[in-house]
Amino acid sequence: MVKFLSEEWIEIGKNYMLEKLDPEKDLRSITTSLLGVVEHIPPDDITMNFYLELEDGKLKDFIVNTGNTFEEKEAIYEVRGNYGTYKSVLKGEMSLGIAVLKNRLKVKGSKLQALKLIKPLDGVIVALTEITDEFED
Amino acid sequence: MTSDNVLTFEKTSFEEAVVIAKKGTHCGMCRFDFLGSGVCSAGRKHGFLAYWPQGRMEIAKQLDSGRIKPTEALKDIVNSCNFCGFCDKQCNFTTQLRPEKVARALKEYVDGLDESEFQKIPEDDILQGLREIVGEKWATNDPVIISSYTMTIVPRDAELNYYIVMPENTEQVSKIVKFAIKNNIPYQPRSGGTAFSAAAPTVLVKGISLEKGIIIDMYRLKKLEIHPESQTATVGAGITMFELQKEALGHKLRALAAEAGAHVCSNILTTGIISTWGNKYGAMADNFIDLTTVDEEGNIQKHSDWERKNPYSTEPGFTNLTLCPNFILTEAFVKLHPVWDDEKAVLVPFDNIRDAYRLLIKLGKRDVGLSLAVLSRKYLAEFLSPTLQISKDFNYVCKNYLKLNYVVAVVCNKDDKKIVEDMVDYTIDESLMKSLILGAPRFTSLRDSEFMKILSEEDDPLKAIFAGPMRKHLEKALDPSPENVAKVFDEDLQEFFTKVYSKPEMTDIVWLHAFRILPTRMMRQQMFMGPGAAMWTGDEDHYINWIKMFDEMGEKYNLEHTLGFISPLDHGKFAYMEYDYYYDHNNPDECERVSKSLIESMKETLVMGKGLTILNYLFKGIYRKEHVMYPIPEGISEEEEELFDELIDTVLGD
Repeated sequence: MVKFLSEEWIEIGKNYMLEKLDPEKDLRSITTSLLGVVEHIPPDDITMNFYLELEDGKLKDFIVNTGNTFEEKEAIYEVRGNYGTYKSVLKGEMSLGIAVLKNRLKVKGSKLQALKLIKPLDGVIVALTEITDEFED
Repeated sequence: MTSDNVLTFEKTSFEEAVVIAKKGTHCGMCRFDFLGSGVCSAGRKHGFLAYWPQGRMEIAKQLDSGRIKPTEALKDIVNSCNFCGFCDKQCNFTTQLRPEKVARALKEYVDGLDESEFQKIPEDDILQGLREIVGEKWATNDPVIISSYTMTIVPRDAELNYYIVMPENTEQVSKIVKFAIKNNIPYQPRSGGTAFSAAAPTVLVKGISLEKGIIIDMYRLKKLEIHPESQTATVGAGITMFELQKEALGHKLRALAAEAGAHVCSNILTTGIISTWGNKYGAMADNFIDLTTVDEEGNIQKHSDWERKNPYSTEPGFTNLTLCPNFILTEAFVKLHPVWDDEKAVLVPFDNIRDAYRLLIKLGKRDVGLSLAVLSRKYLAEFLSPTLQISKDFNYVCKNYLKLNYVVAVVCNKDDKKIVEDMVDYTIDESLMKSLILGAPRFTSLRDSEFMKILSEEDDPLKAIFAGPMRKHLEKALDPSPENVAKVFDEDLQEFFTKVYSKPEMTDIVWLHAFRILPTRMMRQQMFMGPGAAMWTGDEDHYINWIKMFDEMGEKYNLEHTLGFISPLDHGKFAYMEYDYYYDHNNPDECERVSKSLIESMKETLVMGKGLTILNYLFKGIYRKEHVMYPIPEGISEEEEELFDELIDTVLGD
């Protein structure tokens, strides 16, 4: 169990997804990329992001960065929200779908396509929920 | 009466009070003075829902269930009630409940507690921060006060991890949002709360309520200015439709009318004010000139800021679902419309929906009338009847003897009235409507009368009763008078209700259409869920099939169900339809069935197409109706149907 957005979180997250998620069953063989932008991170109110790329349901890349954007790669979708919202999702208090429909998470890109991702991404969320137990207060 | 002119009353036990409280539906009619009776002084003074009659009823339930323990604030809440009885008058008019009995029983319960049983709730850093913004009095973390918001933004089973804050102006709202962001706390505004209460017992609860965090109660944003020269008004988020309408009428002006207790700003934001006046006065962004909003970063903006990104357009299509607005609307600059001296109401009765629909759309396309709607028999029965039993009897008589199943209700000037009368064989005039209101209690005795049996044997009972010799017999049988209608209320309230029903507006169909104090009777000790849609009127069969689909869904899930109303929009090109499923909010099985009917009918409406469902309508009220309703939506594909199933499963399923 690790701290959200730490380097360790990335490493353990990668291993968990590669080892425990079935590309076909859990991730529906999707090919996509997503940039999660996490705003208002306490205590200094900073912004960080994580880039996640899947190819045929297999994790290809999972990187964490500081700032609003990730220059190296362009994600198909951008999901932007407050630290508190991500925390609620990763603690299992709120589903990704509800967070999107309640405008807590803003999706950039086709909403139709983004909503199609919700189900396959359930697997990723479950994985990250399993490994994340530490958050900034 | 006792010698000092104080009414004696039978003591209500706490258990009996809880039974009354459970029947409450949070209609919110106790929070403004719609009967001229006065309004709860404790509520006005303290603001928080806990100090209003509806809040006290909720607190009684929550104490009884053990969800909350007494706190110091509870003492203040029960002692703030002066037992003036205003709430009994208001609540009895709409729901036949007696909130004052609950208030008395609650006080007695609290007075009987030992001092050691009251918890002291300490102030934490978050509360301190909120109090620095709004003042000490207007922010709380007290669980008793928080629990009074159950069903109206707080889910029934949620832990009470909330703060309630009552800002006074836009600047304070902005500061609260910035504070919430800084502290990573979710927040959500609350106005009248009635939409929340209808959804709270259903599958929609997770989507629309706040799971924890800061509830921003908008009640104190009470700015209301009428600008007669420009026929506009500035309206704060705490102003109800009734309050706006009353001020506007003082200047011979009228606002596009939502239900009396609906808050103007939240209604604009939620659905753009769905109303029978929409064909003439407009819908969605037609309603306002400017809005003052607080965005998700706490920035204050106006729609009229000229460098602003276009705030009026939105993405079309079924995936454009939103369960929460993008910003908080704190003030609206709305359009008003002239009230004419020659306004009349005329109702055209029908035994079938197709003919009623045809007339409605014809009138809509010709721009006849100010307010236009098909109202179902059940709607009429609920609105006109002072008690639930009378509404049932009214419904029975109309169905079985009169064959009165629908009316096309038109509010119009005298020229348009003539047009309507020329288009149909007969109408129900205002005089007869007055008799139906003041004579409604007699429907109970008419239920199995010889008179009704004879009438039902006529070839056209409607014509016989509304345009033939039977009319005078009906009026005689109804024996309409304020005294007679008042007799159905509790004895101690009869004198008051005689006065209420003697007021001209209580039988003035135009006033009742504009002020909409009667629709709350649909929430008379039960709840209703009204899915529907704005549908293209170009294909009559398609429209009728939608109604059939909702009807079949009601049958499938064994719910009391009926068409509510149909009202044209955009010169009759669209017509909004509400179909109502009634349910007991205390019955888990019924709540589950209504949830299923809601989801399934939603899916069916998307498959059928050519309409914009209520879920797609939600929080689109600030956009241009043209951007929301066009292009006319086609039915969704099989692939999209699958996506809808997944979406519902992910979002609502557990």
